[in-house]
Order: sequence, then C-alpha cells, then structure tokens
Amino acid sequence: MPLVTIDGKPCEAQTGQTILEVARRHGFWIPTLCYHPALEAYASCRMCVVEIDRGGWWQVVTSCNYPVRGDLTVRVNSERAVRNRQGVMQLLLARCPESPELAELAARMGVTASPYPKVTEAQRNCILCGLCVRVCEERIGASAISLVGRGVERSVAAPFRMPSEDCIGCGACAAVCPVGTIVVRVHEEDVEISPFKTRVKLRRCDECGRAMETELVEQVLRRRGGPTLVECLAREPLCPRCKRGKSARSITAAVPRDGIGKSF
Amino acid sequence: MSTLATRLQCASDLERYRSELVAARDPRARRVRVCIGTGCTAKGSPKVLESFRRAAQELGQDVAVVETKCTGCHGFCERGPIVIVDPGDVFYQGVREEDVPEVWRESVLGGRVVEKLLYADEASGTVARTHQEIPFYRAQQRVVLALNGVIDPTNIEDYLAAGGYAALAKVLTSMQPEEVIDQITRSGLRGRGGGGFPTGRKWRSARNAHGEPKYTIANGDEGDPGAFMDRSIMEGAPHAVIEGMIIGAYAIGSCQGYIYVRNEYPLAVKHLSIALGQARQMGLLGENVLGSGFSFDVGINRGAGAFVCGESTALMASLEGRVGEPRAKYIHTVESGLHGKPSLLNNVETWANVPQILLNGAEWFASMGTAKSKGTKVFSLVGKVKNTGLVEVPMGMTLRQIIYDVGGGIRDDKAFKAVQTGGPSGGCIPGEFLDEPVDFDRLTDLGSMMGSGGMIVMDEDTCMVSVARYFLQFLKEESCGKCTPCREGIAQMLEILTRITRGEGRPGDVETLQSLSDLLEDTSLCALGKTSAYPVLSTIRHFRGEYEAHVLERRCPAKVCSGLFRYSIDRESCTGCGLCSKKCPAEGIHGEKKQPHVIDQVKCINCGSCFEICPFSAVVKI
Repeated sequence: MPLVTIDGKPCEAQTGQTILEVARRHGFWIPTLCYHPALEAYASCRMCVVEIDRGGWWQVVTSCNYPVRGDLTVRVNSERAVRNRQGVMQLLLARCPESPELAELAARMGVTASPYPKVTEAQRNCILCGLCVRVCEERIGASAISLVGRGVERSVAAPFRMPSEDCIGCGACAAVCPVGTIVVRVHEEDVEISPFKTRVKLRRCDECGRAMETELVEQVLRRRGGPTLVECLAREPLCPRCKRGKSARSITAAVPRDGIGKSF
Repeated sequence: MSTLATRLQCASDLERYRSELVAARDPRARRVRVCIGTGCTAKGSPKVLESFRRAAQELGQDVAVVETKCTGCHGFCERGPIVIVDPGDVFYQGVREEDVPEVWRESVLGGRVVEKLLYADEASGTVARTHQEIPFYRAQQRVVLALNGVIDPTNIEDYLAAGGYAALAKVLTSMQPEEVIDQITRSGLRGRGGGGFPTGRKWRSARNAHGEPKYTIANGDEGDPGAFMDRSIMEGAPHAVIEGMIIGAYAIGSCQGYIYVRNEYPLAVKHLSIALGQARQMGLLGENVLGSGFSFDVGINRGAGAFVCGESTALMASLEGRVGEPRAKYIHTVESGLHGKPSLLNNVETWANVPQILLNGAEWFASMGTAKSKGTKVFSLVGKVKNTGLVEVPMGMTLRQIIYDVGGGIRDDKAFKAVQTGGPSGGCIPGEFLDEPVDFDRLTDLGSMMGSGGMIVMDEDTCMVSVARYFLQFLKEESCGKCTPCREGIAQMLEILTRITRGEGRPGDVETLQSLSDLLEDTSLCALGKTSAYPVLSTIRHFRGEYEAHVLERRCPAKVCSGLFRYSIDRESCTGCGLCSKKCPAEGIHGEKKQPHVIDQVKCINCGSCFEICPFSAVVKI
C-alpha cells in the first residue's frame, strides 16, 4: 500500500486514488471548483494545485487528477502551493467580481480582492469549470450543453446558442454549478433552464397541482429505471407530499383507532 | 510518372528494383528541376513549371532525354522561384515565366549558362553557378533536407533511386526491434518538435507499455508564426517521414499510424496522400511489409488549424474526433494516449531523421552536434535577415554563423537587435549572446528554447515590448480556454503589455508581469500556458531598459509604439515639396513652398502619413 506523506503527515492511500481524495480523507482542506466526486476529474480550474516531490525538485500538480501510483510526498500548504492557489483565485475574481460564492471561497483561502482588472467577459459569473457540461454528458446522458468557443471567447451553450432540443429539464446542471450561473425557473406549464432559454414541460401533482419533474425526465426514468421504479411511476402522478398523505390516509382507514399500539 | 513496379515481395526485390531504376537513368539527361515549395509557388513557380513542360512537349522526341520535374523546397525562398538545370547543377534564382524560353534555349538545350539568373553575392559581387558556391548553402549541412530540391516528392521512384526505404529494408531484414531502439538511443536524437525529449527513451517506453493496439503518430501540426520546417519536409520528402514512421512502428510493435497535418498545408496533405498510396501499392506499407510478416498502415488526419492541437494530448483528442483540448499528462501518452492506448508521437522532423540514422549508424549521427544535442536542426530563418529561408545546420553552430554566414546578415545593413527562437513559447536573445552555440540546453539557459525551429531575426527598429505583445496576442487567440491561468492570465498580461505600448504603463507593471508569468508556468495545464510567458520574461530579462523607457519615460526607444515618439522634419533634407502638408489629416504641417516645412506638435496625431509619403526621407522619428 503506497504511503502518501502530506505536509509531513503519513497518510494511508490506495493505488489509483487521487491526491485530493487522500488529502480530504485525512482532514486536509484543498479548495476545488471544477471537481465533483461523481464526475471524472477535469482539472481545468487549477484551484487544487499542490506540490509533489520529484526527487530534488518540487512539481506543481493538480491534486484532483494526480493518481497515486507509489509512495508520494506532497505539500499542500507550502508557500508556493498557497501562492499559486491564491493567484488562480485572483484571476477568477477578476473575471467574476460579483460572485458571492466565489468571494466566499476566496475569503476562506485568504484572498480578499483581486489585483487585476476585469478583462474577460463572464456570462453571469460563469467560471467555465465545465461541471454542468460534464454532468449532463456523463451522468444524465443528454449532452444538451457544451463548452463552445476558444480561449476568452469560451462559454457554455446549447448548439447554435438556441434552446436545446436534447435538454430533459432535469436541472442537474444547475445543481452542480458552484457559482449559480445556471438557474432553474419554474413557470406555470414548464421549467426554464436559464441562461440557455430551454423550456421543458412540467408534470403536476394530480392532487395539489404542485410542480413535479418534467415529462422528459419521467420518460428517461421509465427507460432507465428498474421495474420497481417503472411501477412506481405508473401509479397516480402525485407529488411526494401528496403520496405521503395518501399513504397515511390509507393506513388510518385500514387500522382501527384503538388498534394503534397494540399491533406494534 | 511511369507505372509503378508490382508489389515488392521482399527486401531483395526492393534492391533489385532500385538498381534497375538507377541503371535506367541517363547520366547525360537534361533535367529541369523547378521548386514548387510553398515559397516558390507564391512567387509563381507553377507557371514556370508549366512553361518548361510545354517547351518540353513542343520539342518532340528528336532531342535526347529531357525531363522536367517539380521538387520540394530548396530553402532559399528569398530568391525564388528556383530552377536547377542538369547536368551541371546550375542554380537559377528568381526565374519568371518570361525567362523560361531563354533558359530552355540556352541552358537546357545549349548547355550554356544564363548569367543574369545566377546568384550574385551582394558584398563580393561573385557569381555562383551551383548552389554549393552560394554562401547560404555553403555553411549548411543537409541531412533531413538532403533530398528536398533533388527528388520529385510525388514520385516514389525518385525517392527509391536516391536510396529511399533502404533503411526500412535493413531494419526488417537484419535488426530486432530492440536493436533499432538501441541505435536511436545511441544516436542521441532528441525530439525536434520543441521539447527535446530523448527519442530513444520515448520509443523504449512505448515498446515496454502494455496495451494493444499501439499507435504511431507524426505531429505535422506546425503552427508557430514564421515557421515552415515541417511543412517543407512533408511537401518535399514525404516518404522520409513515412519511412521513419514504419521503422518506429516496427520498433515498438505498432500496427496503425496517423499523420496529423494541418489542413492549411494543402500541398503537404496532397504529397503525403500520394506518397502513402505509392508506398502501399509497392508493399512498403500495409499488410506484410516487404514480406517480413510485419504489418503497418498510416492514415492522414487533417487538423482544423488550432495551434493547441500541436500539443500531444490535444492532438490525440482531436484524432479521436473530440475537441482539441489538452489533458493532464501525469500518465504519459506512451502509456495511455490515443484511445487510451500506448501511443508514440514524434514530430515530422524527428521521423525524417530516423531512416538516416539507421542507414548511416548512430555514431555517424552522434558525430554531428554538441555533447547533448546531436545531429542537425532545420530552422526557418525569417525576419530582418537578408537571406530568409529554410536552413539546416549542425547543432552547436553559433547564432552569429546562422544569421550572418547563412543568413547574410541584417537587411539594409541595420543593427542586429535580437533573435527570437522557439515560436510563441520561446524567447528573444540579444546581441551579446550571438556567439553562443545553438543547442537545446544553451537556448533554454538563455531564457528561450529550441522549439520546433523558428528563428525570427529582429533589427534595431523592433520594439521588444511590441514583440512580447504580439506573441501574447497570438497566444490569447490560440489558448483553448480550458484552464484558468492560461485563459485569464494571458488576457491579463496582454492587457498590461497593451497599456505599456500605449504609453499608459504604470510603475509595478513589469513586476506584475513577472508574477503572472510565474503563476502561469506553475499552474497551467499544458505547455501552451506554461511557456506562454517566455516571450515576456525573456524580453524583460534582456531588454528591461526598453520596458522602463515605455513605463517611466513614455518613450519607445525603437520608435514603433505610436504616441511614444514624435515626427519631425529635418530642415536640411526637406525640399518644401508640400506633399506631407497635403497628406496630413490634422492639417498640422506648415511651410512656404520650397522652404523647409514644420510639424505642429500640438496638432500632430502621430499617424505617420508624412513619414510614409516624404520622397526625400526628410520626416524623421525622434
């Protein structure tokens, strides 16, 4: 079993684990933005850089995707590692000076302001971490959005910057977005995935009329879910709350009042 | 082109066929070789070739053999179109369509020399008859470019007659894969694409890597501004690249190869496609190469022009049909590259060196160059140098020899200021290092790099801040935008440099540039970002005074940055013609007719119109 020494502390690790996984397991905090445990590492934000000993020199690597293949000596809180992480954060702050989420993470990293002016345009504080694109492709299987354009022109968009035809309106992109760029807006008939202007029709609870998942999400669940899930979906279209209420009513109807307690 | 021989069944077939080809060549044949390399093509060589062909056709059959053929780049693009007439190897330069009848009549048929088209040395006035007599060629040593300008790149027979595929035959019949890798290792060959990684070591890792199939890839995505080395090799001697790849594939046990070439090189794509077809037809590529039992085929992939696709992982992503973006190389591509399989990627020039090494031996190759950089290197020598073109010199030649002996010195006899090597990832080297030897390690010590071989010479009229700004602008446009430091950091550095060149620099700007450079070098995902600061760092290191003049004195010493110098009229030279006054859009030049004029500095908007129009060079920059 390889031994990873982080800032002098010996940490047990398994081959194939990343430095970030080992470090987090052993209580080290390393900031991340483009990392999500459910997704393949992308290493684009460079927020998680640490130093590793290459025998005589120290290399700066991204901890989220550097695999442990043998014994490894890592510095998470060295002057150089901290300076680099702060430097990257300063660049992102210059890009998105109005993001409260980013400011909060920056403060935790000891960065209060960026010394740089704003020179690149970000759509609603988007830091281009690509989480939304990857969750849509890797987990949802829809590939409704992608990173388009090159360099500073890069942005997240659906094809031709039109409302997406492949979006199922699941909202996973909004859920993983670390800076609130993507927002799900619930309208009367449908949900809107903003800023992509994609609208997908909603299902509503038969009983209370509350908004539930979209019709397309239901179709995907039917296609992909096992027999139990399909059976579940086949019952009346009720929201979880009404489902609970209905179950409760059926139980109270079946069990006599004075019987409660005795039967358990 | 004559019909090809049937498929060669074994190595001795190849040798037999080669001797037949050589024997069939008439040594008295009159031959016209017209360069159709990109430089000469731009100067009209296809029309010259066409005229020669027409002349040959009109001649009929009654004259002894006359052959007109096209060749790849000779390197001396400055003097193109280049035409060589055999026998005698007579070197004609700047040949225009209207010169063809004379050359045809006098030189080709008459065996006389057309003096006016020969190269005349500017300084000494001596006229050169053959290319060996021209200083530009005399100091060069051509290994990779040896066949450029000699063979017809679209004719495999030409390559075979010149000894082509002999190295492959030797390898397949008498060498084990391990021996091939040993030879490459002992030759000291290092990657010509920029990094200078020992080729033998890369091959060994690829051979030892687990996984099937293994891929062999040639990187022809040359994209540095002003660089055309790989292009000329692919256009002029495509078979050399293919032969090298087959040998490499045999050494590592690969059965599939790809050539990644940018689509902006249509001639390279065309010549490579023709060459691959011919090699396949002759049994040098495909199933059972030369009856050895070893099978290998190569496909061409055309890049869409993204500079970052020259980076190995981005190139492989692009080959897979994905967006050309780099990924981390913590697991090397020789272990997990294209489609997650072991992949051996070498630059075009590296591949072209391989057949020569195996044919002539590792010792021969290692005898050229310096202790740690062996062999020769092709450079595209461009910029403010008299003889621009493609040059191949042994490693270790000094910058001075390359720029002055081969390049002929600085154009218009201005003063040398710096030479930029290594493309956008390289740096600028000032005059005091002109006597340094050019090799991988020395250039790195000087804050630049070998890169793929771009060499841009700059004279006294070049502003080094503007140069740094130019390269950052290029990199900003070519950054893929995946990682934060490269995308945001380059944009920030460019912002600062733009400000400085506008005369709006602030104290501390240079220090900010330096700290951003450090950040990018440490944290960028791929080499594009990691080395993006070199143009800035090297110019700060060697020309700090120029930065300070811009920032502190609002002055551009090279008088390039608009607004950081003034125009003035020299009273002595001014004839009072009034042209400048008429041209001035700000109505800021006054003076009596035939009397010296004066620029009103308050009205002047520094547009430079007067400077350009003055026929007497009386308008000067101060």
